Amino acid sequence: MKKIFSFTLALSFFVLLFAFVMTKSIKRDLLFEDYILFRNVILSGWLRTILISLVSILLSLVIGLILYLMQESNSQILYYIAEIHKTLIFSTPLLVIAIVAYYYIGNSFGLKSKFLIGALTLGLYISAYVSDIYKGAIESIHINQWQAAKMFGFNKYQTYRYIIFPQVFKSILPPLAGQFALTVKGSSLLAYLGTTELLNSVNTVMASTLKYPEGFMVVSVGYWIITIPLIIVVRKLEVKVNYKV
Amino acid sequence: MKLTIEKLLKQYNHKSVLNEISVHIEQHQIIAFLGASGSGKSTLLRLIAGLEPFQGGSLSVNDHLLDQNDAKIVEHRKCIGFVFQDHNLFNHLTVMDNLLLVLEKVHKRSRVEAIPEIHSLLKDFDLYEHKDKYPHQLSGGQSQRVSIVRALSIKPELILLDEPTSSLDPILTFEVLSAVKKLAEEEIDFVIVTHEIGFAKSVADYIIFMDEGDIIEHGPNSILDNPQSDKLKNFLEKVLPFNQK
Repeated sequence: MKKIFSFTLALSFFVLLFAFVMTKSIKRDLLFEDYILFRNVILSGWLRTILISLVSILLSLVIGLILYLMQESNSQILYYIAEIHKTLIFSTPLLVIAIVAYYYIGNSFGLKSKFLIGALTLGLYISAYVSDIYKGAIESIHINQWQAAKMFGFNKYQTYRYIIFPQVFKSILPPLAGQFALTVKGSSLLAYLGTTELLNSVNTVMASTLKYPEGFMVVSVGYWIITIPLIIVVRKLEVKVNYKV
Repeated sequence: MKLTIEKLLKQYNHKSVLNEISVHIEQHQIIAFLGASGSGKSTLLRLIAGLEPFQGGSLSVNDHLLDQNDAKIVEHRKCIGFVFQDHNLFNHLTVMDNLLLVLEKVHKRSRVEAIPEIHSLLKDFDLYEHKDKYPHQLSGGQSQRVSIVRALSIKPELILLDEPTSSLDPILTFEVLSAVKKLAEEEIDFVIVTHEIGFAKSVADYIIFMDEGDIIEHGPNSILDNPQSDKLKNFLEKVLPFNQK
């Protein structure tokens, strides 16, 4: 009960702040009719945001694993390809990467689909982070697990398949869910490429109705519906995973 | 078990931890390696297990010369049961699955056939009621006993135990040593690295005493009553007052 009270109190602080900003900066009533009218456009943008994020995160899981394996392999060339890829991504804003990917890289490879380029760009971008999530999780597996596997005659494939990955899987779930929330937010930058995801769909309505404050509210709520449950899942998983050894 | 070691050299970063040691042991069931920390006894055990490469000399177990070639050393390890200092059970698997995984995946045994055998081993070691628990739900002594059962379950040529009680309190130590004694009663060949002089004296039939990478004295367990070298005398003087049986 005390918890609910504290939460309500904390939440009211933000609601009050919001109300203060609204009354000071917008001197009119909020009108959502146009957004209700265009709800199908917005909904399809929202669904596209989910779809593009799902495809990107799945891509990043695979590419991230490949990057991790490249860095663990004995080949220095593979190691440096992965390292340069990661460094470029860590050091460049996603927006710049998205624009370059669409106008230059995609173009030179003959790719036209905005969805495909968007998903690939996001997937490649997140893969650098995912590869580090794999690395951290695999390195956190205690040396004694590797030793026991070696001693009992498991080969490399069996060691990863039956001993390391099942343990890694549990510990990467919370950071991956967090990464997924980042991906969903990151996908908004694809609006700059004209991908008809959530932000761009709402943008279209805002531009034609000039109801900007309402538009930003709609867009925020749209992202919150996806990201807040993810954040809650991360918190719950973190508690659950902290069981072992 | 027969153990022949000729001029065995082991170095870490050009620093010798085993200084070209040689020893020849004919048909003894239980061998104990004694010595202070850093004497090289655990290293020697790991070399016998084929867990680490050595830089010179030769080692043969039961007349099989240890070949450091990757494929052959895996076959060598599969014939040896190993009990680590810190149980090294797979954290994500129950006791039952820990035991089954090795038998199924490495020794290609069928599950149906392996289960009754494991049940009977678990009953022998008073662990049957814990078969569905995860390692983190077991006491240190129970984990170490499961580790002994795991080593035994593969029907090894011999079992190597690396200070199996070093991280346990006296009561749990007693519990684990009783399980090791059971191996002796069942006529399983084993080598144990231990600080428990009393135990070594009553169970082992051959003693190897090491100091700073050299074998100082070896022989039947009576050498503990009548040490010849100053180093062993010194060692026993320091250890025995607290280790009387």
